[in-house]
Amino acid sequence: MIWLRKSFRRNNGVCSARWLVLGLALVLAAGAALGWAIPAQAQGPTDNEACLRCHSNPNLSMTLRSGEPLSLFVDPKVYHDTIHGTLNVQCVQCHTDIQGYPHPSANYLDRRDVTLQNYKTCESCHPDNYRKTLDSMHQVALAGGNRNAAVCTDCHTAHAVTDPATPRTRIPQTCAQCHSTISDAYVKSVHGKALFDDANPDVPTCIDCHGVHEIDNPTTTAFRLKSPEICARCHTDKAIMAKYAISTKVLDTYIADFHGTTVELFAKQHPDQATNKPVCYDCHGVHDIKSTKDPTSTVSTQENLLKTCRKCHPDATTESFTAAWMSHYEASPDKYPLVYYVNLFYWILIPLTIGALLIFIASDVLRRVRRRLAKQS
Amino acid sequence: MATVPESPKAVSVQEYRRFSSVQRAQHVLLILSFTLLALTGLPQKFAGDEWAETLIAWMGSIENVRIIHHYAAIVLIFVSIAEFIMIGYKIYVERARWTIFPVLQDAFDAFNQFFYNLGMRKDAPKYDRYTWGEKFEYWALVWGTAIMALTGFILWNPILSSKFLPGEWIPVAKAAHGGEAILAVLAILVWHIYNVHLKTFNKSMFNGKLSRREMEEEHSVELELLEQGKASYQAPAEIQQRRKRRYAPVAVIAGAVMLLALYLFVTAETTAISTLPPASAGQQVFAPRTFTPSATRVQLTQTPPPPTATLEPGKPTYTPAPPVSPTASGVAVANPLPADHAGRTVCQVCHATGVGSAPKNPPDHEGRLDSTCVDCHKLQ
Repeated sequence: MIWLRKSFRRNNGVCSARWLVLGLALVLAAGAALGWAIPAQAQGPTDNEACLRCHSNPNLSMTLRSGEPLSLFVDPKVYHDTIHGTLNVQCVQCHTDIQGYPHPSANYLDRRDVTLQNYKTCESCHPDNYRKTLDSMHQVALAGGNRNAAVCTDCHTAHAVTDPATPRTRIPQTCAQCHSTISDAYVKSVHGKALFDDANPDVPTCIDCHGVHEIDNPTTTAFRLKSPEICARCHTDKAIMAKYAISTKVLDTYIADFHGTTVELFAKQHPDQATNKPVCYDCHGVHDIKSTKDPTSTVSTQENLLKTCRKCHPDATTESFTAAWMSHYEASPDKYPLVYYVNLFYWILIPLTIGALLIFIASDVLRRVRRRLAKQS
Repeated sequence: MATVPESPKAVSVQEYRRFSSVQRAQHVLLILSFTLLALTGLPQKFAGDEWAETLIAWMGSIENVRIIHHYAAIVLIFVSIAEFIMIGYKIYVERARWTIFPVLQDAFDAFNQFFYNLGMRKDAPKYDRYTWGEKFEYWALVWGTAIMALTGFILWNPILSSKFLPGEWIPVAKAAHGGEAILAVLAILVWHIYNVHLKTFNKSMFNGKLSRREMEEEHSVELELLEQGKASYQAPAEIQQRRKRRYAPVAVIAGAVMLLALYLFVTAETTAISTLPPASAGQQVFAPRTFTPSATRVQLTQTPPPPTATLEPGKPTYTPAPPVSPTASGVAVANPLPADHAGRTVCQVCHATGVGSAPKNPPDHEGRLDSTCVDCHKLQ
């Protein structure tokens, strides 16, 4: 599946298409996995109809130990339209502890406990994605005792599972359930606006940067050091950037500069050690990234840029300091001409000087060889 | 300097002093600093190339490389300061001949030497204490060091520099610093290595002496002057002594001023903070739209206590404002939900706009979410 996603990206370079393929592959994988299981389970006293005889009652509920009520209602119409419903997945395929009626007694502390005790059932049909989540930030938090950390059903729901990426706006909305302030910032960003206002298929959603199931801790040094690669995935893609007339040299010019050179070297040689040199999001913003043409962008005007520079260079007070940053431009006769001509000067001076010295040395060698030959003869 | 006249080999044993111990010490420091500067500078210019990154890895890290580069630069500037004082001493106290300064004759010498090498001149040009090639190298070093120190200062102190120069001059300084570095390293590798190591191994910079044969071959004019006793003008001891006494305070003051300038060069500014606060500092990571996500649809009666865990230690914990409840405040009395609203989860569709006969939200309800309505508006 990873290969499929990668090759798709390589061919088309369309960020959103990954999810379509992923969703499709998920459906196919689920179908293949269940192909044998469905007929075996479809008959008998534990088919869906038997369950729904009781559980289609909207008022069916129980009280948990915490005193919270737990609705036991499953809307048959809703379930029928889900991915699982269309594949005729049986209730007991997920609720493996239930064989018939009466059910074994449930020992749930509260509603969160219901989720936490049941989500692992997803593994039996979706082992790849489940195992990916085991390395994720959410699982680390969960293992650390944070009961709010997201598990499968928090994002996908338990009974209303549909394609999580259709429409693409569903993705940030899903994450927003727990990360609302971050989502709010994203929605106002150049990426979020394009997604929500124009249904833009190119802009990244949460998962394009953070991953889907194997979501890394984004606050680590290693994540920070390799973050320019994340931005570069789209921002060095000529096909995507051509649509918006954005330079694809942003990574090269960053790496050619003092900041980027350092970050690149740290990422390669000391990925666990922090550096004080900025990465893309230190200047452009993390989730609230704005277009550089937007006057409220952190890098748009010299005034805003100075403010941004001063985050790390607090002693800088003049706007000529910000002019030292070549704004991702390569020196040319139009942009930063002095830099261009100084480079050109050395480009001419070095071969001329060294060439002249070499020619003179050659003449000296010639003389010495001739003299030696003359002595020998 | 005992010579045995009948053996021609022995004649060359006669030696002539060429460099003083101070000059040789300067040269050793120059080798050290120049080599270190090249070894730490070029990998920075060519970072991204594998050889450069291997070198950087050998030296520990890019930050180490920069620190070594800075220390080597201090040594080189120190050598330059010593050279200024030495030149002053030679000119004022010793009244030495200005043999290192270029003259028009050097251009002719270079020209004639080249054609002599090609066999197009009968005689090689005769040289005084310094040949045109040696003068070229010396002045290339002086000029190069000046450029490197000036551009190095700009790169070392960009904030201070940008107060006097347009900002563009900082990348200009970087371009010139890199270009000049390549020129200098290549010139040393080509010109210096050939002339004093490959052509003949000239040891005078280490032992301070040249043999008679070397003098005859490369400095015949100086040898002639030496033998006539005109190579150096030595004033009587007491006059030199008087000049030394006058020069000493000047040298001390000039040296102190230059050392102070070097100190300012190194410490003029703190360009950047040494640690960067996390980009997401102050960012509320866990801020749920609805409280604890539910396993399945739930008829909300009482809001469970909000979770307080955050992803990172040291971050402020999440404590939302307490929901306004009729019993708690005694002021807010919410309209009860009609019984036929049981099970409805979408409120704003009707109540935001007041569509049909639905009562419209009061203005202070702006931004409240559907999931929170039933916290106050209980079912009848």
